[in-house]
Amino acid sequence: MVNVNYFEIFGLEEKFSLELNTLTERYQTIQKSVHPDRFAHASNQEKLLAAKKSTLINDAYQTLKNPLSRAEYMLELRHVSLPNEQASFSDNAFLMRQMELREMLAEVKFADNVESAVFEASQVLEVEFEQHFKAMQVALIDNTEASNKQASELLRKLKFYQKLHVELDRLEDLLFDD
Amino acid sequence: MAYSEKVIDHYENPRNVGSFSKEDPQIATGMVGAPACGDVMKLQLKITEEGIIEDAKFKTYGCGSAIASSSLVTEWVKGKSIDEASGIKNTDIAEELALPPVKIHCSILAEDAIKAAIEDYRTKHGE
Repeated sequence: MVNVNYFEIFGLEEKFSLELNTLTERYQTIQKSVHPDRFAHASNQEKLLAAKKSTLINDAYQTLKNPLSRAEYMLELRHVSLPNEQASFSDNAFLMRQMELREMLAEVKFADNVESAVFEASQVLEVEFEQHFKAMQVALIDNTEASNKQASELLRKLKFYQKLHVELDRLEDLLFDD
Repeated sequence: MAYSEKVIDHYENPRNVGSFSKEDPQIATGMVGAPACGDVMKLQLKITEEGIIEDAKFKTYGCGSAIASSSLVTEWVKGKSIDEASGIKNTDIAEELALPPVKIHCSILAEDAIKAAIEDYRTKHGE
């Protein structure tokens, strides 16, 4: 079971755009086939194998379900060396923009109309996320050495936007959940 | 995960938070980010003609350890020459703040911020 391709597990083509419904349906079907109840009377070895398979299927599903981890997985399959996650990122213009966006979120709670400020902030984040996301999608489809490298750069940037989304959600909880 | 007392102290009373004008030729700015956690750090150094760091300010959006690391660094670099400051290692920062292994990258980020600021200074001054 080493080196199984996550896409193959679910009988999917190795493509970035996939039908989430199909993925989820197939995941549920396969997961049922290895459910512990089905192995109640099986040998310990069979139980163990089923449990291992269940974990693998779960990992595969979680990885493919989220577009960013799916992109990361595809780049791994293409042997694109992803920069170390812990390594610092130093695209100045991009980081300046990130700083501005963080400041924008920090200002939201002082706005005259907090609700519309939150909405505007979410729009800004959405637009910028989409720009990077679409560019990454195109680069992944191209699948050349240069485009894959570009896709991995865009993926790193998208992770900053993912973080901003988390921050925005937290802000909303803070401001609107009494 | 429990933060060390020093991290909490820097987190609750961060030193030298803020910004200098980027137009000021004495100011060097270092920007770094960590994709893994989405942290963004800005470190600014005010450097004299003799190459001594007179003042430092930071702005960090990130976890407690990232804020503490940058706050500590602003204290450490003050009064140092550029060369001395570029000798600050992330391990020194991590040790001082007793950072757990999962937070070591915060100290790396702070070290990289110093390097980025110094590089900015050297670029500005054509060195």
